[in-house]
Amino acid sequence: MSQKTDLAGLSARAIREGIAGKRFSAGDVVEATYAHIDVHEPGIHAFNELTPDLARAAAAHIDAKVAAGEELPPLAGVPAALKDNMNLVGTHTTCSSRILSDFKSPYDCTAVRRLLDAGALPIGKCNMDEFAFGSSTENSAFGVTHNPWDLSRVPGGSSGGSAAAVAARMVTVSLGSDTGGSIRQPGALTGTVAMKPTYGRVSRYGIVAFASSLDQIGPFSRSVEDAALVLNAISGHDDTDATSVREPVPDFTATLGDGVKGLRVGLVRDMLDLEGCAAEVREATEMSVRTLESLGAQVGEIDLPMSQHGLAAYYIIGPAEASSNLARFDGIRYGHRVSDPSDVVDLYMRSRAEGFGPETIRRIMLGTYALSAGYYDAYYGTAQKTRTLITREFDAAFEQFDVLVTPTSPTVAFKIGEKAEDPLSMYLSDVFTIPLNLAGLPGVSIPCAKSESTGLPIGVQIIGKHFDEATMLRVAAALEGALDLDMRPPAA
Amino acid sequence: MAKDRLAGVLERYEAVIGLEIHTELTSLNSKMFCGCPVAFGGEPNTRVCPVCLGMPGALPVPNEAAVEATVLAGLALDCEIAPFSQFHRKQYFYPDMPKDYQISQYDLPFCGLGHLDIEVDGEGAKQRVDLDGGPYATRIGVTRIHLEEDTGKMVHVGGSEGRIAGADHSLVDFNRAGTPLMELVSEPDIRTPEEARRFAQKLRLIMLNLGVSDCSMEEGSMRVDGNVSIRLRGETELGTKTEIKNMNSFKALHDALAFEIVRQADVLDEGGRIVQETRHWDVTAKRTSALRSKEEAHDYRYFPEPDMVPFEFSAGWIDAIRARLPELPDARRERFMRDFGLSSADARTLSEDVEFAAFFEEAVALAGTPLAKPIANWMLGDFSAYLNAGTVALSDAKVTPAMLAELVQVIDAGTISGKQAKQVFTEMAETGDAPGAIIEIRGMKQVSDTGAIEAAVERVIIANPDEVASYRAGKTTLIGWFVGQVMREMRGQGNPSLVNEILVKKLG
Ligand SMILES: [Zn+2]
Repeated sequence: MSQKTDLAGLSARAIREGIAGKRFSAGDVVEATYAHIDVHEPGIHAFNELTPDLARAAAAHIDAKVAAGEELPPLAGVPAALKDNMNLVGTHTTCSSRILSDFKSPYDCTAVRRLLDAGALPIGKCNMDEFAFGSSTENSAFGVTHNPWDLSRVPGGSSGGSAAAVAARMVTVSLGSDTGGSIRQPGALTGTVAMKPTYGRVSRYGIVAFASSLDQIGPFSRSVEDAALVLNAISGHDDTDATSVREPVPDFTATLGDGVKGLRVGLVRDMLDLEGCAAEVREATEMSVRTLESLGAQVGEIDLPMSQHGLAAYYIIGPAEASSNLARFDGIRYGHRVSDPSDVVDLYMRSRAEGFGPETIRRIMLGTYALSAGYYDAYYGTAQKTRTLITREFDAAFEQFDVLVTPTSPTVAFKIGEKAEDPLSMYLSDVFTIPLNLAGLPGVSIPCAKSESTGLPIGVQIIGKHFDEATMLRVAAALEGALDLDMRPPAA
Repeated sequence: MAKDRLAGVLERYEAVIGLEIHTELTSLNSKMFCGCPVAFGGEPNTRVCPVCLGMPGALPVPNEAAVEATVLAGLALDCEIAPFSQFHRKQYFYPDMPKDYQISQYDLPFCGLGHLDIEVDGEGAKQRVDLDGGPYATRIGVTRIHLEEDTGKMVHVGGSEGRIAGADHSLVDFNRAGTPLMELVSEPDIRTPEEARRFAQKLRLIMLNLGVSDCSMEEGSMRVDGNVSIRLRGETELGTKTEIKNMNSFKALHDALAFEIVRQADVLDEGGRIVQETRHWDVTAKRTSALRSKEEAHDYRYFPEPDMVPFEFSAGWIDAIRARLPELPDARRERFMRDFGLSSADARTLSEDVEFAAFFEEAVALAGTPLAKPIANWMLGDFSAYLNAGTVALSDAKVTPAMLAELVQVIDAGTISGKQAKQVFTEMAETGDAPGAIIEIRGMKQVSDTGAIEAAVERVIIANPDEVASYRAGKTTLIGWFVGQVMREMRGQGNPSLVNEILVKKLG
């Protein structure tokens, strides 16, 4: 094939149709994908591990179906990347941590299994902030990921590798995990479509837990339709995750073209006015809402004052759960272990001190403190109450509106190293995304503009009701169609 | 030693004892949060999966049957069943716990306040020096029952007797990790080591009756820890308590508590103070020794388990579990007394063990209610003696309810004598042959045909004229000799009372 690298820009639907129509094979897609990766990966470093053997085997399976004249699954031949905290047999699952640098996946993550069962090709495992602690992918034990729009800038995080891989067209779709914005914020910073489904919509089985009550797996893509296709594949109840729900799963692509006429869209005014929200971000958000209005939506404004406390609640609940979830990395059964422990306590302490990076240690300390006797009520108890109040505030807002709109990130992509020494300013990156995790709501970030000064992408966040991703995606698709942005970055 | 001194100590001090009893739900098909089977022993690390090994990303899914079994146990002990409950994480580092936290319950257990009534009699009743020394009944409160997961097991290599001291490395077997473990906490209502033993024994019988566990103290599927403090009689303030572990039998439970009460009394008598600590019962040395003190106690940092949603039991759901409650020992005992006219003591012994009671009832059903008492006597007498002597489990015994029913029926019909019946029972227990077959083979059939007996008596009278004359002259003690001669004539098969009756008539 002469146009091999052109395959990299295709949508999931175009790839499936191309393979079904025998214009190219799934094998061609794999080779084109790795050829494209060869060109761009050295400058970006989106991947911790490439899995060509798995991808070629999956492609051969698709091509055999084509040869046999069988119906192709919905994501047949679609190159997909996985955040490196998702187990897949035949790959390492490192969480970009030294403590798991040699850890081989012992079983498959449910969402990954479902994605691959839908025909996607596993291209590789993506870099991330260690254990998903961060908003820049700088907290990786294996080096930073660079933003394809400007290699001197971060791609956001923690799912920065998954975002950069899609933005740079190295894969068509990818999976990330979102605990406080770890899908949506890098989505905004890389100009990709990035969504966090409702908590419970997608099984968490097999994703290395950060904060169990907040984590949710979701897709990165270059179009809303591709996001819907991935969501179709990975959603639904799973017997191995007690928090996954039995809600019916609609075909999320079915209503994408229904438009926004009559839908009630609420602009969250007080978030827009938050100090630290860049003027260009505010303007792009307002422009997005006006665009929806021009498409027939009924637009209004609302304040969500409780949500401003989300960041504080999140930095209690998230680290508290993380401190517990990360206890198992103790050097006993798997992961890094010191070579010369004097006793079991020494083994624990030095294995963990050597294996964890500084941000991980910071979160474990924060969480351990918040759960300690005498502090539990003041910290964890108060944070949980705040969480309940935020949930109620959203519930009330959704009496008036079908979707809510906020910026995704207060700023465009920042320079590598710019916030690395200032954790508090880094934490503010997720101020708009965190309240959704606390309330369990779905949110999608889509690119809505490019910065006039830097040319960098700006994202807008559309928030749906619980389990109403369909309406949220319908609004996103309408906005995407109206704006019709060219979101191909320089390094792609 | 402790036992001898216990009575004296209890004259001056009152003991306050609470128990914590862990019961593995061994009758369930799978572990608490995964599908691995529940079993004892086996090749190390063969019954494991990503969940019970705490692999990164694996998630716990609660075993509904274990939740139901815990609620069933709570209902059996009249506990309040919580309408809202949840699991918490109890956090501490230890190599036998793969996640370095245990999924347990904290302030929202499935079962709240309940109680268990016990009876104390015999020697043990005398430990209650405040009572008259006779049998008594008392009610012990149950604080709560909750559900958690068991840990794995450590094997220490290189030290002595597998203890950690002196070991140079340790191995971990996770086969047991994740086994459903029910923990019952009693109120500190127990006053003597004997009451503690009776409480634990009765709880075990109830759990066996419910069919939730095999309750084997040897294999560790039932583990009893005790909290004990003492105070001068008349004192209302509680003393400092110690926690006693490693009591691996009911005798150990009794003896360890007795030792500890005496030890604490000695400390106080010498002007010392009790240190709040955990103490280990050494069954060989027959003493407790300090394991760790409160100062080293952990902050477990309990918090609600975020991998699961809380439980909200509806009244209808609880009623459905209640409907599954089998008849429990106390109710069964009442019924045995009422329906079969058994004494309170006999009814208790027969009703305690669910299998033993079922055996009894089946035999009575076959033989008829009027024979319930002789069946009870056989079961409590020869049959129990046989089972105990050979430590034979009832389920392994060759005697069936049908065989026992047949035995009492042939005795009742006068077919064999009581003495012959004992022989028949012994043979039946050893061979598993039915009584009829044994009687047939052994030619044991007792002759109650008066014609045959009269003929034998006539023959004896004719053959022994001198003895007949002596008897008739007043030496009536010769009757025994005549009975012997007639029985010999009949090769032992004459009905003894008929032989006697006919002899007296013919000689007189
Ligand atoms: Zn298991």
